Amino acid sequence: MARTRPLMLQIATGDPRPIIKQITDAVRVKIATGELESGDQLPSVRGLAQQLTINPNTVAKAYAELTTEGWLESRQSMGLYVAAPRQRLSDAERDRRLDMAIDHFIHDVVPLGFSPAEVQARVAHGLQQLAPRKRA
Amino acid sequence: MGDVTDYVIETRALSKRYGRKLALDHLDLRIPRGRIHAIVGANGAGKSTLFRILMGFLPPSAGEARILGKDSQSLTPHDRSRIGFVNEEHTLASWMRVSQVAAMQQHQYPRWNQHAYDNVIGHYHVLPEQKVGQLSRGERAGFNLALALAQGPELLVLDEPTLGLDVVAKRAFLESLMYSNATDDCTVIYCSHQMEEIERVADNLIILERGQLRHMSAPEDFTARVSHWIADVPFKGPALHTVPGLLEMQQLDGLQHYLVLDQDEGFERFLREAGARNVQSMPVSLDRAVNAFLAKNHAAPNAA
Repeated sequence: MARTRPLMLQIATGDPRPIIKQITDAVRVKIATGELESGDQLPSVRGLAQQLTINPNTVAKAYAELTTEGWLESRQSMGLYVAAPRQRLSDAERDRRLDMAIDHFIHDVVPLGFSPAEVQARVAHGLQQLAPRKRA
Repeated sequence: MGDVTDYVIETRALSKRYGRKLALDHLDLRIPRGRIHAIVGANGAGKSTLFRILMGFLPPSAGEARILGKDSQSLTPHDRSRIGFVNEEHTLASWMRVSQVAAMQQHQYPRWNQHAYDNVIGHYHVLPEQKVGQLSRGERAGFNLALALAQGPELLVLDEPTLGLDVVAKRAFLESLMYSNATDDCTVIYCSHQMEEIERVADNLIILERGQLRHMSAPEDFTARVSHWIADVPFKGPALHTVPGLLEMQQLDGLQHYLVLDQDEGFERFLREAGARNVQSMPVSLDRAVNAFLAKNHAAPNAA
């Protein structure tokens, strides 16, 4: 039987992102980067709540959101697992989101005065860091 | 689930007047059964008065207050046994031994749950033979919570329960509150000024101000109502009374910082029309949102 993958995540109170969003963001990144693989079992609602000292309902809400979005799937009375990868958004929506993110990024970066080549190199490096890692 | 919502606390036009001051001002508050509800409000918002009335220790000046479906002015000892109460003082008879207090409570409450008591008290180094007066503040808090939960209450009211506790005791307190099975069938009302805790524990955020209900929703939904805008409006900027949803304005290094309630992109238009060339906005934390919301109407001396 699959063992629970530990969820190495931390939450911060006093952050503009609500705790639910901190959890959903972190899990999405971990799945996208391969730190969590399809079939991995997530900690129980109560377990993660205790790990983070937060209300179990908050974890339940975060898990529910991730399940609705297709990142996680529940297996009957066995808990929650990382779902098989699939495209979760339509092509048009992916395009739209990418445009939006690039637009934001450019607005933030242009005033900093780096050359386009420098920025591109740094972005490439950053993306490389996120590339799926092999597990030991 | 019936079609009638079940409220643990329900007030209608509840008012309490102390001389010229209205501590509760036609308060309409309905708290549904289940989950953890945090109540915040500046000092003097009426929280203590509300609970004194709800527990039947104080009569209202007008209106109605019901707790667990019963009129708060005619509670029987049985009704009271369904309600647990822990306050910041953690007052208990200091000359009694821990075991004596526990035995007394066990005798008093028919639904006494020894397992719940052991479960919570196990978080603390409290020995049965110790006198209550010898316990530290954190130990008394834990002891009090253990007693309240063992009573098997349907409603547990915690009034600033972690005030003055060190970080370890605070964490132990929150853990026994959130992860003990004893709270499974219990509605918890958590009064606190500590946003860090509220963010961790609350399903529902209730904001009281000057004896009135000002807001009730999940904490993150309240945070989403408040946004922080920074603009470079020339001179002093628009007259403050014309700024929509304004909670707080600060002029810092020649830039105006606005914390506003319920504003969308229309607010950017407002700032640009006032002459701003640069406008930026960002979300705020729960702490900041509640703070700005309460600070808006906080008493201040009349400006000269």
